[in-house]
Amino acid sequence: MRWELEPNPTRGKVLGAYALFLLLALFLLGLIFLAYGVPPLKAYALLFSPLTDTLGLAEVARRTIPLLLIGSGLALAFRVGFFNIGAEGQLLLGAVGAAYVALFLPPGPWTLPLMFLLGGSLGAVWVGIAAWLRVRFGANEILTTLMQNYLAYYLVVYLVAGPWKGRQVFGFLYTDRFPPEAQLPRLGDTLVHWPTLVLGIAAALLLQTLLFRTPLGFEWRILGENPKAARYLGLKQGRLLLLAALSSGLLAGLSGVGEVAGIHLRLLEPAQISLGYGFTAILVAWLARGRPLGVLLTAPLLGLVLAGGDALKLALSMPFRVVDVVAGLLLLSFIGAEALSRHRLVWRR
Amino acid sequence: MRKALGVLLLALGLAWAQGDKLKACFIYVGPIGDAGWTYAHDQGRKKAEAALPWLETRYVESVPEAQALPVMDRFVKEGCQVIFATSFGYMEAVLEGARKYPNVIFAHATGIKRAPNVATYMADFYQVYYLNGLAAGALSKTGKVGYVAAFPIPEVKRHINAFALGVRAVNPKAQVLVRWINAWYDPAKAREATEALLAQGADVFAFTEDTPTVIQTAAKKGAYSFGHYTPMLKFAPGHVVSGQIVRWEVIYIDFLKKVKEGVYTAKNLENVDYFWLLQHKAVEMGADYGVPINPKHVPLLQKASLTVGGKKVSVYDRIMTLLKDMQSPKPTFDPFTGPIQDRKGVVRIPAGRKASLEELLTMEWAAPGVVGDWPGEPR
Amino acid sequence: MEEALLRAVLFGTPILLASLGALLSERGGVVNLGVEGMMALAALAAFAVGLEAHPVLGVLAGVGVGSLLGLFLGVFAVSLRANQFVAGLALAALGLGASGLLGKRYEGVPLPNPLPEGVLAALALALAFGLHLLFFRTRFGLYLRSVGENPKAADLFGVSVDGVRYGALALGGGLIGMAGAYLSLAYRPSWTDGMTSGLGWVAIALVILAAWQPLRAVFGAYLFGLLFFLQFRLQGSVPIPSEAFAAMPYLLVILVLALSGRARAPKALGQPFDRGR
Repeated sequence: MRWELEPNPTRGKVLGAYALFLLLALFLLGLIFLAYGVPPLKAYALLFSPLTDTLGLAEVARRTIPLLLIGSGLALAFRVGFFNIGAEGQLLLGAVGAAYVALFLPPGPWTLPLMFLLGGSLGAVWVGIAAWLRVRFGANEILTTLMQNYLAYYLVVYLVAGPWKGRQVFGFLYTDRFPPEAQLPRLGDTLVHWPTLVLGIAAALLLQTLLFRTPLGFEWRILGENPKAARYLGLKQGRLLLLAALSSGLLAGLSGVGEVAGIHLRLLEPAQISLGYGFTAILVAWLARGRPLGVLLTAPLLGLVLAGGDALKLALSMPFRVVDVVAGLLLLSFIGAEALSRHRLVWRR
Repeated sequence: MRKALGVLLLALGLAWAQGDKLKACFIYVGPIGDAGWTYAHDQGRKKAEAALPWLETRYVESVPEAQALPVMDRFVKEGCQVIFATSFGYMEAVLEGARKYPNVIFAHATGIKRAPNVATYMADFYQVYYLNGLAAGALSKTGKVGYVAAFPIPEVKRHINAFALGVRAVNPKAQVLVRWINAWYDPAKAREATEALLAQGADVFAFTEDTPTVIQTAAKKGAYSFGHYTPMLKFAPGHVVSGQIVRWEVIYIDFLKKVKEGVYTAKNLENVDYFWLLQHKAVEMGADYGVPINPKHVPLLQKASLTVGGKKVSVYDRIMTLLKDMQSPKPTFDPFTGPIQDRKGVVRIPAGRKASLEELLTMEWAAPGVVGDWPGEPR
Repeated sequence: MEEALLRAVLFGTPILLASLGALLSERGGVVNLGVEGMMALAALAAFAVGLEAHPVLGVLAGVGVGSLLGLFLGVFAVSLRANQFVAGLALAALGLGASGLLGKRYEGVPLPNPLPEGVLAALALALAFGLHLLFFRTRFGLYLRSVGENPKAADLFGVSVDGVRYGALALGGGLIGMAGAYLSLAYRPSWTDGMTSGLGWVAIALVILAAWQPLRAVFGAYLFGLLFFLQFRLQGSVPIPSEAFAAMPYLLVILVLALSGRARAPKALGQPFDRGR
């Protein structure tokens, strides 16, 4: 008896596997809710409640925006073999760039484009350091990008507590509010800054095209799937890697611009700028299995999980950790189902 | 028939009772945890609910600043009539929510901007910090007092300054060594910062962080400490001298009663600002509730002395006198009474007057005796 | 000076233990990104048992819970051949979340008889040497390394790839669990939600700095412990912003890595093993 890869699972099997694991996850969650004295059915309903009203949909969309931008960049980087887990820091650098333009350059119609330009560039430069260290010294980017997150964190604290501290913030850790020219429009009275959303969708489409329809994409895919072959073919590995890394940093930087220009309207304490999007986007990218287009599906999915968890903690006054438990269990069920549907049990040795 | 009528009446009565409940909802910035800022607010919420039978409360913890407005949307939708937002960072969201929902009453902790339906409130410790500073100055043998500080914002700076003024009142040569950990909650940083201060000779500790870590660490080396936010005596019964304890329920009960009685409405809160201190019983000095000074350390403080108006008094008596004064309805003493210079020698509060509320709320300077980095220090 | 070295060891110990745990399974080819969650849950279990029974039993409980979580990760990462990275991240979230939900009643409770840090620190150091011997002097170590480098070959030689990987996850999980127990029973000593405060991620990063060598992990963990302490020891002594000191440990770790050159990861790291392929 053994467990082997099944290249072309039937649709029924895939659905069955997902249904099985989802039920398992819901069952386990149900036990937790029961232990907390909450009827499981009510809790499930709440979990999916963001889909039922505009308020909830806006919450899903708001979280989807940065996940989309960062996720599609990471999907590319991971595919090429650059394990960038510093998107959180690149997002912060993007926010710093945006804040610089908004606060210190004369405002005008050029302000927003300039914010995206500088923010994106800073995000790219930030990951570029890690990519350069890898290409030049062989320094593992998982470690360098992770450490860079902390550096970015303290850079932002330094700026908002020191030189950039606002004059109208009563001594608290904020810059002054951005001028109107530096604020992104939102949908109605929600927090959905739609230009960034459009940017995110465009990024996913663009990267998908680049990756699957251009010679550059072809080289990227070869490098990611078979570095040896890439060497035989004489591909410029360092340059390809750097390019993929820079793209992911650029997009993470753009998402940082979106967060401060669309939601906060100022630079503030770093833990408040991002809701851990840089890390959640790693999951978004992995679930999309290296296809930037897949992110269009997985980003809203993770957005729903987060928003649903929040609805749960709010409606039932449950501890905030319930969000982590829900996210963890659902994720495990997704990847378990994926693994199950791609394998089969064979009754021979 | 009669039975049915009875059931109907009962049902109506219940519905009436239900409908008559005031629903107050709380937005917390952090997890409730075990000892910190949010824990103290949650204790206040629970005590208010226990004291007011007509009160129904709800809460949601760990709400990031940018999340506050959507949370308010939800709360209003679920029928919350009063919303307490318990972090300065919610200011913009509170003001926007108040515009969006003019019939809902908002109260914003540590806030400074009000509106017809937005009140502000704060229970502040600065007086208590001064008193604890007196004790710290008396207890330190090395003349070095450690302070593990969260973020460099006015509230924390005000507390450190009040503490340092107290320390210096007893020992004019003493130093208050400040270490910033740039986190509200981080036991590892709190521990290592305390270790660093111990290594530099600090032997008495105060802090702003959401756990009793500083107390536990100091006690291991036999150093004294002062609790923060909640009673922390149990974490080191031999070494916690006193501390600052907040009683948010005092404010919550007062506020909600006035809402219930119709004194506060969604139209007249423009000038409702609670900045409640010892005299309002919103804060107390103590290692535990009702224990202003750990009995173990009373003799030490009785032996130590300081000069007040040319007369020698014991530190213990001075603390108790000032505590009694500041707890009275009309206090005469205030730690921030001029003349006060900052550590660079600039006069910050001129002679003959007390610091104004605005000066307290926007305090950026560092008091004499404070040693260490001080982000945002005015030149 | 002695003070700084002492802190390097005493704060380095939980990082060392967690690093060794992650390193062990990575040697067998399984990436464990669940360290933070495993530590959190183990810290809670250790504290609960330590409070109700005895702290020594608490350590055992932490180790046990860590091992079980390692095996749980194995179900996905080994048996189901699921993506190890996502499975680990999901476990990190689940562990943190579950500890927060389950631990409410232990918050704010002091531990009357904490364990001495020194004893556990010595044990951790001994374990690092033990792992070194295990890797390079025992049959299991040989199997482990071969499974991490070339599982196909190992399989051909009759080594149970899945079995060895489960073993590595269980042992490594135990070490990670001990790291959690150290935090709640000796370092703090009490339990609060989120008390691991990101040390698990640092531990994962240090595996790379250690170039997958247990003895170098000792160096890496102590170095980090030293720098973490020094940021507060030096803060304020020179006119440099405190934030710069706070960033120093992370900056120096990057520098050390860049200077120490290319370290080679186990070849099959992160790849599920399918015999058919």
